[in-house]
Amino acid sequence: MASAPLPSLLGTTIRRAFIVGRVNLVIATVVSLLWGTILSLTPGSSFASLFPLLLPILGTIGTVGAMLVFTNDRAKGVFEYLIAYGVPPHRIFTNVLGAAFTMIAVVDGLTLAVALSLRVALGLAIPIAFTAAILGYSLPMSFGGSALTAAAGMFWTSLSSPRQGMNSPLGLLPLLGVAPGGLGFILAEAAGPADQAYVEVGAVSIVIVLALVLLSLESRLMPRERLLSPA
Amino acid sequence: MRTAPLASSPAPVRSGGTPRISCRGVSSGYLGKRVLEEISFDIEEPAVYVVLGPNGAGKTTLFRTLAGILRPYRGEVLIGGETVDLQGSRDHLHYLSHMDGIPDGLNVREALRFYARVQGAGAEDVERVLSLLDIGSMADRYLSQLSAGQRKRVSIARVFLREREIYLLDEPTANLDPKLSREIRELILNLSREKVVLYSSHNLFEAREIGRYVIAIKAGRLALFDRIENLRGEHFVIGVRVLDPGTPPALADFARQGDYYLRELPGPEAVPALLHELDAQGVRIREVREMNNPLEDLFA
Repeated sequence: MASAPLPSLLGTTIRRAFIVGRVNLVIATVVSLLWGTILSLTPGSSFASLFPLLLPILGTIGTVGAMLVFTNDRAKGVFEYLIAYGVPPHRIFTNVLGAAFTMIAVVDGLTLAVALSLRVALGLAIPIAFTAAILGYSLPMSFGGSALTAAAGMFWTSLSSPRQGMNSPLGLLPLLGVAPGGLGFILAEAAGPADQAYVEVGAVSIVIVLALVLLSLESRLMPRERLLSPA
Repeated sequence: MRTAPLASSPAPVRSGGTPRISCRGVSSGYLGKRVLEEISFDIEEPAVYVVLGPNGAGKTTLFRTLAGILRPYRGEVLIGGETVDLQGSRDHLHYLSHMDGIPDGLNVREALRFYARVQGAGAEDVERVLSLLDIGSMADRYLSQLSAGQRKRVSIARVFLREREIYLLDEPTANLDPKLSREIRELILNLSREKVVLYSSHNLFEAREIGRYVIAIKAGRLALFDRIENLRGEHFVIGVRVLDPGTPPALADFARQGDYYLRELPGPEAVPALLHELDAQGVRIREVREMNNPLEDLFA
């Protein structure tokens, strides 16, 4: 019998991540929109300096659904089933990562669209520094931080018995998930306006390198046995 | 097919044709830790092969290895004469884990469509199994809204989406009520007329009722591969435990052993008729088990 091509399942994973993590996604988006609106209307330079630093933190919180899909699927034997039917563990991993990226894109995209539209509608300028910070820090930090969180969370979960809490990516999120964006925020604010850009670029570079290292070790850190539910 | 006698290191069971499943000196486990040691057997004949063994003996590991989820450290598994690999095994076998394996965030129909896509089945197959397993009425309900029995029914429905030569069913009736267990056993029995079904269970009555062969695993080794009829004792006695306090009139002439009402029958095939008769007389049955089942020795 000829093998039918394996479906990617990415679309289903994304849809499930949105359903399972809808509460966190809504909270992250609403808070992000609120901050975006407030800072857009605030006189001075806080829109350009503060808004890009907050965006990755809130974006990462919005990715909880993707992490939940990973934790629950492993605990409930869904991965075991998929592997038995020929789905490679690598595809499972990249699907969860794809779902996390999609959720980040929704939070960041919506927030940016609303904030920028508001400023244009009010006739306020969009500073060059803001555009540079969004492109050079917010977006790479959002996606890099999300990749780092997702990869570290999946590896961490796969090392332990399936359960909720600290052994799940969700449990790691308060510590590791918001850590890249949070540290970037603290360091950039501490550095002051003159050095903020350097700190931001440095923080983004470190996070992206760490994420790439973890992603490159995927097959070594997460063999198929680690995706199985307890026997 | 010939069968191997009880032995600490049984020889492979072989027959003339190409075996549907062939385990050749398979050692397997998790992250380098061996759970199965030198397992060898061949399976050719369509039938239910009941896999028995104490907790931790390696039953689930055997299923996972046969399904290609775990790669053997030594030896090889051949399905239809070909080495098992991740892509290939899915065309030959169905695997039902002891976990539900039902994804969150989907309703029953969507979950079955998800499985259907993985198996290369179509939407019409989903509708067919919804009817076959009598779960059409819950098709639009989310899985989180289902009882454990309903979830199990949905889980089992997956293996009927497409026909396969081999069915690996890891405790398919665990935690099910007697009525649903019976329905599932009947489905599996029908299936086994043309297919190879490996079926693990802790229920020895169930094992004797539907199994033709027994594969016993003890401490990771194959302890027995034989026809179940070769293990049967001279007397087949079942014990019935009821829900209601006091002795129901229909059981008045049954012998008693603790909470069980005993009845000797010609064989396991007579059990469904007796249960039907008791049900018709209003007896609410909590549990049915075979008393002094010779398979119990395999758990010792």
